[in-house]
Amino acid sequence: MKIFGAEQERTLGSLYGAEAAEVYSALLRSLSVVLEEEVAPLSLALDEGKEGISRPRRVLFDQGLCKLPHPAEFGGMDIPFGVYALAMELAGAADASTAMSLGIHNTVADAVSRFGSPEQKKRFLPALLSGKKLAAFALTEPTSGSDARAMHTTAAREGRHYVIEGSKMFITNAGEADLYLVFAATGDGHGAFLVEGTNPGLKVGKPLKEKLGMRASHTAEVRLAKCKVPEDSLLGKEGAGFEQAKQLLDSSRIVMGMICVGIARVAYAEALAYAKGRDLFGKKLSDMQLTREKVANAAMETNASRLLCMHAARLKESGKPYSSEAAQGKVLATESAARTCDAAIQLLGGYGYTSADVHRHWRDARLLTIGEGASEVLRLLIASQELEKEP
Amino acid sequence: MNIVVLVKSAVDEAELKADQSGHPVLKGAATKMSAFDMNGVEEAVKLKEKNGGTVIVLTLGGPEAKKAIKEAMAMGGTKAVHVLAEAADAPDSLGTAYCLAQAIKRIGAVDLVVSSEGASDTYQGEVGAMVAEFLDLPFIAYAKKVETDGVKVRCEQGLRGTVRVLEARLPAVVSVVSEANVPRYPTLLQVMVAGKKAIEDVPIASLKGPDYPDTGTVVVDVSVQSASRKRVIFDGTPEEAARKLAGALKQEGVL
Amino acid sequence: MTGAVLSYSESPDLAGEVAAAGQEVAKMLGAEAVSLELDEVSPGLLTANKVVLVKGELPLEAIADSAAAGILELVKARGFGALLIAETRFGTIVAAKVAARLRVGSLGKGKKLRVDEGRLVIERDVYGGRFTATVASRLPCVAVVQAGAYEAADASPGPAESVAVTVGEPKVAITQTKQGQQGEAGIKSALKIVSAGRGFARKEDLVIAQDLASALGASLGCSRPLSSDLGWMGEEAHIGLTGAYVHPQLYVAIGISGQLQHVAGIKDSKVIVAINKDAHAPIFQVADYGIVGDLYEVVPALTKALKQG
Ligand SMILES: Cc1cc2nc3c(=O)[nH]c(=O)nc-3n(C[C@H](O)[C@H](O)[C@H](O)COP(=O)(O)OP(=O)(O)OC[C@H]3O[C@@H](n4cnc5c(N)ncnc54)[C@H](O)[C@@H]3O)c2cc1C
Ligand SMILES: Cc1cc2nc3c(=O)[nH]c(=O)nc-3n(C[C@H](O)[C@H](O)[C@H](O)COP(=O)(O)OP(=O)(O)OC[C@H]3O[C@@H](n4cnc5c(N)ncnc54)[C@H](O)[C@@H]3O)c2cc1C
Repeated sequence: MKIFGAEQERTLGSLYGAEAAEVYSALLRSLSVVLEEEVAPLSLALDEGKEGISRPRRVLFDQGLCKLPHPAEFGGMDIPFGVYALAMELAGAADASTAMSLGIHNTVADAVSRFGSPEQKKRFLPALLSGKKLAAFALTEPTSGSDARAMHTTAAREGRHYVIEGSKMFITNAGEADLYLVFAATGDGHGAFLVEGTNPGLKVGKPLKEKLGMRASHTAEVRLAKCKVPEDSLLGKEGAGFEQAKQLLDSSRIVMGMICVGIARVAYAEALAYAKGRDLFGKKLSDMQLTREKVANAAMETNASRLLCMHAARLKESGKPYSSEAAQGKVLATESAARTCDAAIQLLGGYGYTSADVHRHWRDARLLTIGEGASEVLRLLIASQELEKEP
Repeated sequence: MNIVVLVKSAVDEAELKADQSGHPVLKGAATKMSAFDMNGVEEAVKLKEKNGGTVIVLTLGGPEAKKAIKEAMAMGGTKAVHVLAEAADAPDSLGTAYCLAQAIKRIGAVDLVVSSEGASDTYQGEVGAMVAEFLDLPFIAYAKKVETDGVKVRCEQGLRGTVRVLEARLPAVVSVVSEANVPRYPTLLQVMVAGKKAIEDVPIASLKGPDYPDTGTVVVDVSVQSASRKRVIFDGTPEEAARKLAGALKQEGVL
Repeated sequence: MTGAVLSYSESPDLAGEVAAAGQEVAKMLGAEAVSLELDEVSPGLLTANKVVLVKGELPLEAIADSAAAGILELVKARGFGALLIAETRFGTIVAAKVAARLRVGSLGKGKKLRVDEGRLVIERDVYGGRFTATVASRLPCVAVVQAGAYEAADASPGPAESVAVTVGEPKVAITQTKQGQQGEAGIKSALKIVSAGRGFARKEDLVIAQDLASALGASLGCSRPLSSDLGWMGEEAHIGLTGAYVHPQLYVAIGISGQLQHVAGIKDSKVIVAINKDAHAPIFQVADYGIVGDLYEVVPALTKALKQG
């Protein structure tokens, strides 16, 4: 499968116009070569635990994937967010774990870029964008996920410091990260704190090894015990933390949706190739009408997902509200990816069920109807915005 | 040191489709930088990094070749010259070499011309040698290691089971093989910057002098190949499958 | 009268084949067929063509510059109808140089040479060997002849006519010659070939392929990565578009995925066998017989089965 194919090129053309699309196509084509040659071939071994995620992640950091949407002033490239989102589709097609790890890392960079002080930006952004530092986003807790506002972690002011106490659960990049964005209650609301991985008050639990998918990414609990951080670790204003998290997740959902578009495409391409070659009942599997329904659905849902996510991205680029569209894109992309990957297993029959190269796509996609806002929560968000609208 | 690197935009052979009558659908076909030219660009850029100077990317091709030129620029080209030839006036290998040589003469002070062993679409592998002849320069083919001190170029060449060290005075033309290096991946930033660099367009007609070699070489037809093979797969344990295969080969009378 | 059709091979193994091609083209042109030999007559040369031995003040085959200059001297003195050169890397460069100096067409590497309305026509692989291009050029011109496309005549040549030429100093100097990786000599004309690909994890493991080759009485070849990237075998031992075109009775591809460019070189094999652990490897699409399995188990089993008869 060509990771950057005609479909992506056309999408760029229709959304950005021919001239700009040519520039962005050159970027994504170049990225896709690296993904095809250096990342995708590792994907199965990554799933099987025979290869570590740091290698493909390093490759993509060095390419500058994380620089795309950020300001040039801090080492970014000032490329529109939608182009970055499309780049994450390509990354997701090459390896979902790597793409997710980088996507979450870049959400932290986004946090610094949006809410950080000039000093914080100077101090952290260049290192985050080049991948010299890896970041983790620590919001979920053992007792609160969807209902993140109910978090128990606290940050108490002590002179020129804060002391953070609590526990964060299911944290991607935990253990590997150099920087953790930790959300904690601060009395009058919430705050987001940049905590260095070397802080003696931050301890990472055992990696969660029994994950269904996204197996190459590291997931663990992060415990904060008497975790003392200087006051300039606070991102933006005290009390704004929860609102910040919501805004960050709005754009991160677009990225997660696009990663799922990438996952679905690979599963779909593999199933299609198989169906074209498999003989049964004197025909090819791809000639059966019921197969064709699966093919048509996969194509429709994948394209619809990409376009809805890209629509949200374009709204974001133009400074318009987009949280409902981002949620819609993510729900559609993640749920339809799971359906497409499921159909791929079905088409490959026994081979689908017994080969990690097929079912891992389903296992990977499956996470994202839960993480970064479960589908149920996002539907509530979408519905409440709909209900507020003038009839 | 001024290095010219020859870069061809080639049809992506893996993507090329045949129409009903078996002819390739070249119109709108995907193109890319010819695979081995990436080794040429890498070598040129490495030499530039070591010895200073410039790398000039030189391409003859249609408008679609801009993509390949930009890829080469992203890898480290300093500037680019595009000899524009629509598909209809695409010359044969000798005509191509003539035009490239003319373009190199116009560029002026060139110390080294780097080409690769052959284009991934047509793989004729003659243009580098022919350019050298038109420029009356020394030519070292199939180099797997290239060094220069600015006065001479010294290459390792593997031919007939030997490795020879060949040396020539600059200016010279060298063609490299893929084992010479591993082409770098340009970073996204380099791709973006390269996309903005100017490319000098030179219409092919402006390069053709009265001595242009018209050899009457034409492509009469291009048709898809078809092969039918038995495609029998033997299963069972390795021993069983091996025995069945040995039996089949005996039957075929090829043992 | 049309000038002679000249044939030349740097490799003695292919001299008879390219001479046969010259013979055919000469017949179509109603011209004389001449086998050009540089420095010395290829040992064991089989041809009925007239043989012209060109000698220079320096060994001509030391470097393509000199070989081309030697041929040019002869051509300038006597004219020519066409020049056919056997496919080797060296031969390709000589062809390019001669064509450029004479400003005549160069057809590239192909087969099925014919003459049509004063033009030489050749069929050659393009686009990774998926398509055949028919290319024509006004005579006289130069072409490179694919190995295996012609069969050497069953005739010993008469005494050679010796011609002395002066070629001058080549522009390129050889300062050192080292022994490189040897390729299997004569792979281009081998009747059986066992060919190894990236499926082999280490160079030492090639003995598994060598054992099978010995059991079959086959030559050992490889895919390009083994010779070019890994240096496990000589650079000209690799088979395919950029290496040797082969045409054995039996070709056994082991741990070779079967990319276009490799397959281009084996299409003329009578029987193709593939051993690969990936059932979806494209090599199975172009093979007559295949075993899906680990080469480390399958190949020794096959060697054993063949030895047991
Ligand atoms: C591999 C992995 C990586 C992760 N990485 C991170 C990370 O880097 N940072 C981070 O902060 N978190 C991370 N998470 C946590 C993830 O975001 C949460 O799992 C998610 O938000 C859901 O929270 P929960 O697991 O606590 O489930 P709960 O909130 O307890 O929800 C359980 C289920 O209840 C349903 N549900 C929830 N709300 C409603 C509702 N209102 N109505 C009806 N049904 C509802 C949903 O189906 C949901 O799946 C990760 C999780 C995993 C598995
Ligand atoms: C312009 C151009 C020209 C080229 N010319 C040539 C050419 O002339 N000749 C050529 O060969 N290549 C050529 N190539 C390279 C070609 O495209 C392929 O990259 C190359 O042929 C692949 O070699 P391979 O099959 O050995 O390796 P791979 O493609 O890496 O395949 C290795 C195979 O081994 C199998 N395998 C691995 N382990 C085992 C095991 N234990 N048991 C069984 N099977 C195993 C794998 O399933 C796989 O199919 C050219 C490329 C370009 C761009």
